[in-house]
Amino acid sequence: MQKVIRVVALVGVIGLLVGLVIYNTLNPAPPDMGVWNEAMSKGDAATAKHHFVMYTDIFCPYCDKFSNAVAANLDKWEKDYIERENILFEIRVTDVNYENGHSKNSRPAGIAAYCAAKQNNFWDYYYALLEQMFDDYFSNGIGIDPYSEKIPDLPNSYFTDVAKSVKLDQKSFKQCVENQETAKELDKNTALAQNRINGGVPRFVFDKFTYDGFAGIWDTTSDYEQVKTLMNAGLSTK
Amino acid sequence: MGIRKVAETVFDRIKLGLQGVCSVFSRPKYAIFGIFCVIFIAYILNFWRDGNGNWQLLCSGLPLGDKLGVLGRVFTSMVEFFRSFSGFTVALLALLQGIVVTQLIFTWRHREKNAALDGASTGGIGAILGFIALGCPSCGIGLLTPILSAIAGASAVAMAETIGHIFTILAFALLVFTIIRLGYIDFILANVSKGKEKPCKK
Repeated sequence: MQKVIRVVALVGVIGLLVGLVIYNTLNPAPPDMGVWNEAMSKGDAATAKHHFVMYTDIFCPYCDKFSNAVAANLDKWEKDYIERENILFEIRVTDVNYENGHSKNSRPAGIAAYCAAKQNNFWDYYYALLEQMFDDYFSNGIGIDPYSEKIPDLPNSYFTDVAKSVKLDQKSFKQCVENQETAKELDKNTALAQNRINGGVPRFVFDKFTYDGFAGIWDTTSDYEQVKTLMNAGLSTK
Repeated sequence: MGIRKVAETVFDRIKLGLQGVCSVFSRPKYAIFGIFCVIFIAYILNFWRDGNGNWQLLCSGLPLGDKLGVLGRVFTSMVEFFRSFSGFTVALLALLQGIVVTQLIFTWRHREKNAALDGASTGGIGAILGFIALGCPSCGIGLLTPILSAIAGASAVAMAETIGHIFTILAFALLVFTIIRLGYIDFILANVSKGKEKPCKK
């Protein structure tokens, strides 16, 4: 009889955990139509029919898989979704992985991203940085998941060197990164994001559809199919 | 009893336990059931490995065809994913859980319900721990993160990676313990049933 009770308790615990996950899934995200940083968005904020938000951390491999797949199919993605569906797509860069003690690189990367946004060239810098990180680390299996070798702590020069291939005022960009001029904005946005994510990133809030994680495999063709599924889920969830 | 004697007893138990596992899986119907179980569990673990994303897609407004596509893609991505170390961990968990389930069925069917219930609770705890430690808890992807943030708030997520690793190790330890323990019982049951099938002639 005692053993039967143990098994019943076990089933109860499983039920509780599954219930909790379902509760988290169905718990709607707070309505939020404002753009946090216009330079980090694509589409026309004034006329957009949809507002898709991605909470990210540049040193989150799952987030980067999504963005790499988009970058590899950028023209098609912009035409099919941003233009045709009239979507306002916004990236909200945070340093949650720095705050969680997971990656020290998250902070300088976040600061650099906001410095690029300050010069209104976030997207080019963001994609150039992701490409560099893919070549240096992800393609070699470094930093791809919790079991893999960790990306070492990178100096500020790693983030400023990437900017050389992007149209940015190099001098003021370097100054911005080194003096951490955008740290306050990064901190403010990370604090705001903490209330909107389930403790981690990526979190996608595509109108009424919310989604956590991204199960890509670092293959931009196959991963883009998942990107499309997420975008379509955002468009079709009422 | 000396340490050497204890070690010998433990070693014998492990040896007999593994023989018990072999005797269960040498029976075709249990071997087929075991393979089915491993594939099914691997699918479930893969479905949840990166948190509740796939579940959210099934709850979305996507047309039925796309939802079936989501289910199908879990299967195809399983093969790709298993090439990485974390994929290997998931595969190993699925294998151990599949063995435990098959052993439980075998033990239950041989009327050793108490032993089966014992195994079910220990193996079940191992399975749950392995299940919730999947994904990348430290970056918020996995079942552990929403659970931790729901119980202790967002700040608890900082400990998610350590907790995730502890859960994974505990899961493996409990599953291996259950396999050996049930295997020992299965070894006895298999030999008893052999004896019943071919009684000694005097």
